[in-house]
Amino acid sequence: MTDQTVTGGIAAGSAPGAGGGTPRRRIPSNWRTLLLFVPAFVIVTLFFLAPLIDVFIRSITDPKLGLQNYEWLFTTDANIAVIVRTFGTAFIVTFVCLLLAYPYAYLMTIVGDRARNALQLFIMMPLWTSILVRTLAWMVLLQDTGPINGLLAAWFGIGPIPLIRTTFGVALGMSQVLLPFMVLPLYSSMSKIDKRLLPAAANLGAGPITRFFTVYLPLSRPGIFSGGVTVFILGLGFYIIPALLGSSKESMISALIQQQISVFLMWGQGTALGIFLLVCTILILVIVSRFNKNGSLFPGVDK
Amino acid sequence: MFKLKPRSARRGTAIVAGAAALALTLIGCSGGGSTEPIPERDLGTPVAGEVKAGAFDGTTLTFAGSGGIFQDGQTEALWNPFAEASGATFNQDAFDAGKLKAMVDAGNVSWDIVNTTQFDTARGCGTLFEEYDYSQIDVSKIPEGTITDKCMVPQIMYGLVVAYNTDEFGDNPPTSAADFFDTKKFPGKRTVSQSTYVDPQTVEFALAAQGKDVANLSPDDIEGAFDLYKGLGDDVIGWTTGAQAQQQLESGEAVMGLVWSGRGYGAAAAGAPVAPMWDEWMIMVDSNGIPKGVKDKQAAFAAVNYSIGAEQQAKMTELTSYGGVNVDSKPKLDETLSTWMTTEHLDTGIAPNVDFWVENYDALSAAWAGWATGS
Repeated sequence: MTDQTVTGGIAAGSAPGAGGGTPRRRIPSNWRTLLLFVPAFVIVTLFFLAPLIDVFIRSITDPKLGLQNYEWLFTTDANIAVIVRTFGTAFIVTFVCLLLAYPYAYLMTIVGDRARNALQLFIMMPLWTSILVRTLAWMVLLQDTGPINGLLAAWFGIGPIPLIRTTFGVALGMSQVLLPFMVLPLYSSMSKIDKRLLPAAANLGAGPITRFFTVYLPLSRPGIFSGGVTVFILGLGFYIIPALLGSSKESMISALIQQQISVFLMWGQGTALGIFLLVCTILILVIVSRFNKNGSLFPGVDK
Repeated sequence: MFKLKPRSARRGTAIVAGAAALALTLIGCSGGGSTEPIPERDLGTPVAGEVKAGAFDGTTLTFAGSGGIFQDGQTEALWNPFAEASGATFNQDAFDAGKLKAMVDAGNVSWDIVNTTQFDTARGCGTLFEEYDYSQIDVSKIPEGTITDKCMVPQIMYGLVVAYNTDEFGDNPPTSAADFFDTKKFPGKRTVSQSTYVDPQTVEFALAAQGKDVANLSPDDIEGAFDLYKGLGDDVIGWTTGAQAQQQLESGEAVMGLVWSGRGYGAAAAGAPVAPMWDEWMIMVDSNGIPKGVKDKQAAFAAVNYSIGAEQQAKMTELTSYGGVNVDSKPKLDETLSTWMTTEHLDTGIAPNVDFWVENYDALSAAWAGWATGS
């Protein structure tokens, strides 16, 4: 394509629309703009779509054509236990993160710029530390002979209380990692709430509890949904933290996938697990988007 | 906001479809990279630990190992000296069986030698691993009974041993596999492998504790072995990585552990009061596997042949604490290491029943999956 045709195209296209209306909409050379998307399409197709299709096909053809891998998935007791546990853990983590993040995000909206920067720094800092390092630190802190149990024994003469290799330990480690993903959408949603609405409600006779539940909470809902969905979905895929802070009784779907792929070399079963996790994720996104007023998952994104 | 008109949208779809077709074509083609056959070099009769000087000038080999000080030691003691003597270039990578399968399936193998277990080479012999041509490798000094399938030359000998806390049981140490499961006589938490990686020796150890002959097993025995571990209840804690096993022993969290000998040694070398039980221990052998479809089989064989020399093996043992696979190998050992040296205690070790586990792998893996996921 030469410069000549490009210029020519735009000139010819914009000429009739020059009189009024929105000239941009009248440009018939829209398809040229589309060309800009081609590299992205190629990359997405090559590195995302094609492997995904491959994974799906493998799940119904390896070792032979049929649904035997999905049958295995849903009829093996160990799998059901792990699936239920994975969703349960992700739910607990989402709940804990919401409880911790809500007041924190609210605090960020009412303090001055300097304090807000500090709060933001505190929430971002863990993101810059390796997940492995943080998990190893928890391992040291939580173990039966670790400092927490040591202090409990020295001060109160109790213990050792099992902290590591429990759902508590796993949820603690995961919540610490995922907290920023809850705080940031909540903050972004809360900072858009008009501050004058609360005094206005008070003026109309609403008490603090009524004000919160009828005015503030509904307005912050987009943040709760998008933060909750992000944390929940990320939580479903956790691997390293359940492996290190949990025992076999806390292992999650990702450990099962790794085992099928890398140890048993039963790729059909591994890919079936992967597709199952993906379908669950998409379903969650679709269901939650129904609850958001404008159908969008993320606050500030208009449909 | 940029909006598509229906006509443009159709074109957009066409572009996407075109890109998808192109991408799929590219993927389809990437599989079968054609390679020129490499002419055979004349290397003479193989002698373990030797290679003809400059025989592999310009050849590049890649070793995929299990990382850590183990792979560092192998690199320093085995592969770098081979590279220097033969003129080859040696690269290092991290081994993963899933990645190996992907390479072999795609017909694009970038590893030449991998460090894996004797069960994996036996299971994947001919499909994932090349059969060895033992006329190109001098196996005369390999300890008897350690070549357990046609696709392996031993890499190291080590063991799954009970490591116990000497502060707890110094005067009255455990002396049998059954003692490991006797929480009345030996109270306290014990750690045992619960990693996703299937470990037949962990199962064999429990069977030995039940008085079964490991050389003569039946598939019905498998569940019983796991029941024995589950019967330990709260007294059993799991390790999912070797580092974790070592950490649990060092911190004293576990008073006893069924761990890789190298990890028990690691805890002892770090100053923890930990000693090995040699009365009943499980012999383990790692394989040098050659991936199926490797580009230069002769070079890979020559490197393996070089790596099993007495001198190379002695140095590897000194660097990694793992036992050598050359009967003439005489490593210099300090006191701690000599107490943990599996090759000094072969008379009391129990050899694995490789054929049984290869044959009954499905039953084993299903039972192990349940054990490793706590259900």
